[in-house]
Amino acid sequence: MNENIEETMLDLLCKKATYGLNPQEEKQLAELEKEMGREGESESFELTAATLAMADLDTSKAMPANLQSRILAEAERYFDKTPESRASTVSAFVSDEAPSGSLFNWLGWAFAAAACLALALNIFYTREQSTIVQGTLPTPTPAEKLTPLQMRQRLIDSAPDLARADWGAGNVKELTPSGDIVWSDAKQAGYMRLSGLPVNDPNKETYQLWIFDETQDDKTPIDGGTFTVNSAGEVIIPINAKLQPKNTKMYAITVEKPGGVVVSKREKIVALAKRET
Amino acid sequence: MAQAILNRIATGDTDAVQDCLKTYGGLVWSLARRMLRNSEDAEDVVQEIFVDIWKNAERFDPSQSSETTFVAMIARRRIIDRIRYSARRISPDSLEDVLVEPTNRGDQTIQTSVEANEAAKALAALRPEQQQVLQLSIVEGLSHQEISDATGMPLGTVKTHARRGILQAREILGLGSTEIRKEVSA
Repeated sequence: MNENIEETMLDLLCKKATYGLNPQEEKQLAELEKEMGREGESESFELTAATLAMADLDTSKAMPANLQSRILAEAERYFDKTPESRASTVSAFVSDEAPSGSLFNWLGWAFAAAACLALALNIFYTREQSTIVQGTLPTPTPAEKLTPLQMRQRLIDSAPDLARADWGAGNVKELTPSGDIVWSDAKQAGYMRLSGLPVNDPNKETYQLWIFDETQDDKTPIDGGTFTVNSAGEVIIPINAKLQPKNTKMYAITVEKPGGVVVSKREKIVALAKRET
Repeated sequence: MAQAILNRIATGDTDAVQDCLKTYGGLVWSLARRMLRNSEDAEDVVQEIFVDIWKNAERFDPSQSSETTFVAMIARRRIIDRIRYSARRISPDSLEDVLVEPTNRGDQTIQTSVEANEAAKALAALRPEQQQVLQLSIVEGLSHQEISDATGMPLGTVKTHARRGILQAREILGLGSTEIRKEVSA
């Protein structure tokens, strides 16, 4: 009797791992596992199948950028309504124009506080340059409290694969942006140094960076994050890439609706930079 | 760091969500694309998979498997559901791609992860017929009946190869319990 049960159970476990079970079979397996006192055994078969599925998996093709953006948007909705997630303190993909009342709005305040702290420290320690940052910040250790300018310099000093490009005009002819962008594939970090972009009202529009690289089609460049310019003069902005750029070749800044967009219509390209090194 | 991603998600660290996407996006996308063969289906299912990953993050037990394998398991569950309920049928044209010998896959970019190496070793230890059946079911997502139709093997033989193959692989990978080891050596 037990041997028959064992046989049936094994058949169901193997089938579940390789091709899944219908609802009746699922119910039968659950009953058998309970009867045999082996609840949860099916997971070891599923883990086996999952391991085998990775044997020669080609993972070189990146997920489409628009899909990744949809997942991040879904994450925002999911974690915003999951109470326990509110314990979180940092989000790498928060936009600088988060919807009001959301977790991301709260995080926006946290980042605003961080930006104020960075600004205060910058003024206190350097008194050289007005540098204002909004958006997400690569996190220095609390003890370091580096300014964006210092973080940018640290990246330049430490990244042998650093790519650099100078900003030039886009399709908005009256704007003449200047500055540069630095990016390291190895560190997956970079900074924009920008002058000549007008202060924007984040309730009406946002700036959004796009990264063109070898992993994505030029029609769907990588979303480099949104940012706000709230001061004339030079600003330094950390890059918040939604995917992992590789061998970047060009960067563009567009003006978009608050919160940014998944795919830009490229109506207002305010700055362009082609990689030099 | 990678091993901590699911634990961080379980504690509500939203920063870990992006780490999860960066670390496992390629894995999940590749699994979905290979098994579903339809880009639109794959995009839909990948979005669902990541929600499943967030929901199941707290269930991850590092003593049972690597985080990568756990994510792959969650992904496969959802992909299998999609295949079963979309009444997917293989076309004669796709059979040529599917029915390759397991040893002829060296042209693909092989993920050099610990899991991939373990899996390759486990598969290599199986009999060729078992390898073929497991490749078609686990890797390509074919049902036992579809494998029988495609290969000409009797359905019972397909089931036997699948069963013995996965039991043996489970033992090799160290995921099996002692209670059913006798089946492997049969």
